[in-house]
Amino acid sequence: MTITLTGVSKVFGDFTAVHPLDLTIPEGSFFALLGASGCGKTTTLRMIAGLEEPTGGSIRLGDDDITGLPPHKRPVNTVFQNYALFPHLDVSENVAFGLRRRGVTSVQKQVEEMLELVELGPLAHRKPRQLSGGQQQRVALARALINRPQVLLLDEPLGALDLKLRRQMQLELKRIQTEVGITFVHVTHDQEEAMTMADTVAVMNGGRVEQLGAPDELYENPRSTFVANFLGTSNLIEAEITAVEGEELRLKAVGADTVLRLPAQRCAVEDPRAGGKVLVGVRPEKISLTRAEDADSSDAAGAIREGSNLLTGRIRDAAYLGVSLQYVVDSPVCPEFSVYEQNVERDTRLVPGTEVVLHWQPSHTFALDAAQDADAGTVEEAL
Amino acid sequence: MTASTVPAAAGAAPPSQQPSPETGSSGDGQGPGPRRRLTPYWLLLPAGLWLAVFFVAPFFYQASTSVQSGSLEEGFRVTWDFTNYSDALATYGPHFLRSFLYAAVATLLCLLIGYPLAYMIAFRAGRWRSLLLVMVIAPFFTSFLIRTLAWKTILSDSGPVVGVLESLHILDFTSQLGLTGDDRLLATPLAVVCGLTYNFLPFMILPLYSSLERIDLSLHEAARDLYAKPTTTFRKVTFPLSLPGVVAGTLLTFIPASGDYINAQLLGSPNTQMIGNAIQKQFLNVLDYPTAAAMSFILMAIILIAVTVYMRKAGTEELV
Amino acid sequence: MAADSPALAPLRWLRRNAVVIAGLASLGYLLLPNVVVMLFSFNKPAGRFNYEWRTFSTDAWTDPCGVADMCGSLGLSLQVALLATLFATAFGTFAAFALARYRFRGKGTGNALIFLPMAMPEVVMGASLGTLFLNTRVAFGFVTILIAHIMFCLSFVVVAVKARVMSMDPRLEEAARDLYAGPVQTFVRVTLPLAAPGIAAGAMLSFALSFDDFIITQFNAGPSTVTFPMFVWGAAQRGVPVQVNVIGTAMFLIAVAIVLGGQITANRRRRAR
Repeated sequence: MTITLTGVSKVFGDFTAVHPLDLTIPEGSFFALLGASGCGKTTTLRMIAGLEEPTGGSIRLGDDDITGLPPHKRPVNTVFQNYALFPHLDVSENVAFGLRRRGVTSVQKQVEEMLELVELGPLAHRKPRQLSGGQQQRVALARALINRPQVLLLDEPLGALDLKLRRQMQLELKRIQTEVGITFVHVTHDQEEAMTMADTVAVMNGGRVEQLGAPDELYENPRSTFVANFLGTSNLIEAEITAVEGEELRLKAVGADTVLRLPAQRCAVEDPRAGGKVLVGVRPEKISLTRAEDADSSDAAGAIREGSNLLTGRIRDAAYLGVSLQYVVDSPVCPEFSVYEQNVERDTRLVPGTEVVLHWQPSHTFALDAAQDADAGTVEEAL
Repeated sequence: MTASTVPAAAGAAPPSQQPSPETGSSGDGQGPGPRRRLTPYWLLLPAGLWLAVFFVAPFFYQASTSVQSGSLEEGFRVTWDFTNYSDALATYGPHFLRSFLYAAVATLLCLLIGYPLAYMIAFRAGRWRSLLLVMVIAPFFTSFLIRTLAWKTILSDSGPVVGVLESLHILDFTSQLGLTGDDRLLATPLAVVCGLTYNFLPFMILPLYSSLERIDLSLHEAARDLYAKPTTTFRKVTFPLSLPGVVAGTLLTFIPASGDYINAQLLGSPNTQMIGNAIQKQFLNVLDYPTAAAMSFILMAIILIAVTVYMRKAGTEELV
Repeated sequence: MAADSPALAPLRWLRRNAVVIAGLASLGYLLLPNVVVMLFSFNKPAGRFNYEWRTFSTDAWTDPCGVADMCGSLGLSLQVALLATLFATAFGTFAAFALARYRFRGKGTGNALIFLPMAMPEVVMGASLGTLFLNTRVAFGFVTILIAHIMFCLSFVVVAVKARVMSMDPRLEEAARDLYAGPVQTFVRVTLPLAAPGIAAGAMLSFALSFDDFIITQFNAGPSTVTFPMFVWGAAQRGVPVQVNVIGTAMFLIAVAIVLGGQITANRRRRAR
């Protein structure tokens, strides 16, 4: 069932948790609300569940307006953060809770089937505190799914699990969603989790949706510095547009003479024109490094492709991570350029102090409005 | 062995059960409707009304009674006669002093006796912990009057305690201090204080235990790791962290002890009467209600002031 | 490090276990009177007072109600304690929910009103409530005792229940509402079972406090309503029958058996899983 939020907002006292929000979550999709804590994602979820009353706007489920409906009358169920399992009831009674409240008398068979689905059959008569975190998580999931809700809401469902278990449960949740085919709305602060599972991700910041789209779309073509920094890492350079040539923009980085190019549709600035200021971005893994002295010879290791964007710099730091190599490069245009190289043909001469040329494809470049905080969404900002 | 380790849990907050800031303000969905806004008042009404009528209102009656004069035969009338107060203080000044002195000493003794037990149950009892706690509460199950009477047996003139103390010449020493007399323990201030200490000891132990139990053991390890001797660990870490329990325990002991008259009656003599005895006698035997009311009012005022000052002082000390 | 001489070993052991020794000594002090009460329930005293040991006898145990009025007063105390517990637990639980769950004008006053009875000596509360009844010409008796007991039990119930309710995760009730439980069902199926340990603790405390109260009762009882503690008080002046010790010992043993039994079954249940 499609969920439609129209102008939904929530104000607590003088704090606006959610600014008027329009959102359509299509039927059968796995939809993630991604953002740091306090960004309004959980409040949005709770308004869909009915646990929070919107200050303004309306929520529709299919064609029905459910804005004023109390939670127990909504065909929507939630997997709570820390699961909120009833400590006084055993596993099977926890799972049967929703059915019993709706007056279903013979719940035994359904409960057994559901516990089978989440592989908890043998633990049916344990109390929640006798279960591990992963098992509790499955009970919470079973307790919600047994009601065959039209929408399942998940509030940081994997937050309390350790890394390995979290990876496993990510895949399992995705499998279950495909199996039951109902709409999942998933709130998380973990970008990897959102990208692994969701078809569509809405990145929220300060009570607003910054950008909405498929995970690869968000990653490859972020439209704001927050998205660029919160999803993965981005190198952002201040630059000025020098020319608009058809479908291509030409720019000059502040502090360097080289010309940078990028496709016009990868520029988030509306109506770009010559003289305008932008922030040019590129992901660390899209950049290649070539030693400055090899830059002119076309047959040397790491030859520079024709038409690449080029910058010069000097390696400050190099870290060997096994699967990749991470460099920090000082460049006149950007003091700390991150570069990740796949560990395929490792150039052992790339040590700190080496003068290098950084080069990448114009199609991997993006441009953002320069009027934003370049550090929005970074870890440093969060601290 | 001088390596400083970081105990795994020291300082690390336990897995938070607190709702995140995003969910925190929601409470339990108290909507703005007028019915919901009245709910807490309805819930509070029976208890609040009961306490207002049978706890607060009596103080006003008592206040008015305390400024009445007259006699039982002619009836009492409000005459704004404050001599009830001055008379009470003049006649029963020693009772007041004795009450607070005995209660203070008993509270101190409770702290000294109760702390090791609370500490032992919290940190050294292992699997015996719940059994020991039951044993601390167990005396409550026997009527405390019966238990106080048992002290009459224990401290009796021909009993073993007097015998031992006599042969060790301790009784001679204490009678020189004026705590005992005539080679006996019963009917002495010592017996009264002993009974008070005994009666209110669990009220000291339980709050002490609950604040000690909350202390993370890794804090002890951290202190030891940072070169603190066991005694220093206790002085600088354990005791300061148990202060809330000390404050609660001393209040729960001192307040009832200062108003008690059972121990003074059963274990003491006319020379060890406390203010409770005086109030009880005036109210129930002499039927001089104005004097009883005045004394009760003075006792209440002194305790309220003392408690307020003490809590404020304890509160600021905690901040330092 | 000081030299570890074997001669100092007992001293070191003593120092390491000083806390345990002191703790056990305190426990002994605490339990000594109960032992004496138990012992003297088998005494056959010479006179009216049961303070000195004569000979072993089970007379009192075979005839516990052999003393005039004692078992009647015991019955009265049980009656008062049960009723006071019932009312105090109900009213106190309501108030605890109000104070733990809601934000409202006057909450501070409410909290102070609950706290004050616990910060007041019993003799003050007893005397002032007695003054109220005298002034309003209410006859002292069963009702006045019950009123007084409910009054001083209330605060303890509120404190016990409030602590429990405050520690309850509000998400559990949200989960119930999310799982199709209406307000009433949420309360009956989730809130109440979760708060039950606090309510039970408050009720047990009420019962114990009411059953054992003497001071406030003495100021508010009538001539024909003698509770068990009042009987003991009277007996202490006239002569204490051995049966008093029998009742004290029996209460002690029953209560300890209930608590230990509860703990053992809880342990066994935990281990069985």
